[in-house]
Amino acid sequence: MIRCAQFSFAFKTALILQDISFRLEKGACLSIIGPNGAGKSTLLKSLLRLHEYGQSSGAIFVGGRPLHAYSQRELAKNIAYVPQGGGTGALTPPFNVEEFLRLSRYPHVSRPGAFGANDREKVEKALHLTGLTNLASRPLNTLSGGERQKAYLAAALAQDAPVLLLDEPTSFLDPKHASEVNQLLKTLNREQHLTMLTVTHDLNHPLDAGGMVLALRNGRQLYFGPAADIVGQGILEAAFGHSFTYLPHPRSGKTVVLPD
Amino acid sequence: MRQGYTPLFLLIAVCVALAFCSPFWGIQLISPFNILQTGSPDAEVFWRLRLPRTIAAFLAGAGLSVSGLVFQTMFRNPLATPFTLGVSSGAAFGASVYFAYFHVGAAIGFLGSLGSLGFALGGGLGSMLLVYLLTRARGGFSTPVMLLAGVIINFFFASLVMFIQYLSSAYDTLRIMHWLMGSLTDLQIARLADLFFIVLAGACILWRLSPELDLLSAGEELAASRGVAIRRTKLLVFVIASMIVGAVVSLAGPIGFVGMMIPHIARLSLGQSHRLLLPASALLGGVFLILCDLAARLVLAPAELPVGIITALIGGPFFLWTLFRANRQGEMV
Repeated sequence: MIRCAQFSFAFKTALILQDISFRLEKGACLSIIGPNGAGKSTLLKSLLRLHEYGQSSGAIFVGGRPLHAYSQRELAKNIAYVPQGGGTGALTPPFNVEEFLRLSRYPHVSRPGAFGANDREKVEKALHLTGLTNLASRPLNTLSGGERQKAYLAAALAQDAPVLLLDEPTSFLDPKHASEVNQLLKTLNREQHLTMLTVTHDLNHPLDAGGMVLALRNGRQLYFGPAADIVGQGILEAAFGHSFTYLPHPRSGKTVVLPD
Repeated sequence: MRQGYTPLFLLIAVCVALAFCSPFWGIQLISPFNILQTGSPDAEVFWRLRLPRTIAAFLAGAGLSVSGLVFQTMFRNPLATPFTLGVSSGAAFGASVYFAYFHVGAAIGFLGSLGSLGFALGGGLGSMLLVYLLTRARGGFSTPVMLLAGVIINFFFASLVMFIQYLSSAYDTLRIMHWLMGSLTDLQIARLADLFFIVLAGACILWRLSPELDLLSAGEELAASRGVAIRRTKLLVFVIASMIVGAVVSLAGPIGFVGMMIPHIARLSLGQSHRLLLPASALLGGVFLILCDLAARLVLAPAELPVGIITALIGGPFFLWTLFRANRQGEMV
């Protein structure tokens, strides 16, 4: 579904990503981890060609086609994106929740006013899945940070693309809502076979979600492989320059990571 | 994107009613019964002076509001207007060059009435290009840099206009000064067709881009991730909006504040959907300028005020109000 072949990205003289190579099949779940400034968000944005400036080399393939062969609209039919900081409130789009979700149907709606029953259905489904139906008519700037983050997720779901890119999707959520969102993402991954690429600082997320992990440091790829294998292999230590303790969860028995 | 078209229909009704009444009103009221009598002085005044002027005011107001609306959307800032971005002063510079050097002399006389239009379009597009290049030079396309570049270009062209005035003869200086205040007095009827075509065609293309504009008002990154071809869309919108401003400025001078106030009011009453906002701003802006022009004709009658003075007198306080409101809310309204 997605293949990165020795992809590098530079902005002016700063090399931000260097020789990134990985391959994900349809329905795969990838967690991208690494310290601040490692190039995680840049990698996600590169997959959507969101960088207007800067030079890239190597290649990215989506569905077997090179990225540059897609029009931006075609790309949006294939990849949906939940930006970082959906909950920060800085320059919140001037829409209510439902209007915001309707905008996500742009790649599927051919001309102004051609918003059809199918589009309405997708919007309602996304509202329902994220539990935002009751907030549909609330302006985005009156929502709490967590609610707004959910609205961004709902908007990406309304886009109805087979690939979902998530940049720290639970950073503004309290533990209960974070767990709900993670559960929803897991369900979508398993039942609808959405391919997911998630940038996260929560190191327990990859262990919980399973799938694959891509670890970055200073723009270089340290590790790409199964999530279970990051435990005790020194990968996190190398990525973050910090030591970690791995313990079995007293109830579930799953391994949890604690920074020392 | 508020549902329901009732406010828009009400707006259309009021606008059309006001627009129809305006040419009958002036220092001397004209009876609707007289306008069809050939040879009557009332008919002459109505068809030759008041009607073309009313149409010009409508087109100029509509053009400035529509371009103001899309500039505000592109920059996600209610203070982004044809003025603050330097487009108006670029166009004013182009037209001033024409008035000072080419208008009386026959050097490019063959351009006829299209001369000032061509120069103003060139000036408007040139200033937009300069703003674009300055922003590009900073390695991105960021809104604050672009607004700052607009302010700088605005000053730059305003100084050039003053320089031209300084070099010109007393008569040309006066002509340029009067025109710079924004006026619908010396109207060339032949030019109405150019303005009509540019404003109508421009507004139609912009309306076709309303889904893209909706998304751009949610931010460029989000718009791109939803499938908008950002660079192409922005270029198209900037070129069209600059051409509209250029056309209006060449006919009526740089009339200020319409492009800031009207879109703002339209947003407050109709929400954010450009499908509604574009026609509503065009209508509101057109009627607003018709009314301002009416005031300009009546306030010091029989003398006439430049309409730009009226819009500035209303617009200045409105600009401040927007600024304080924007500051308080920390975002675009």
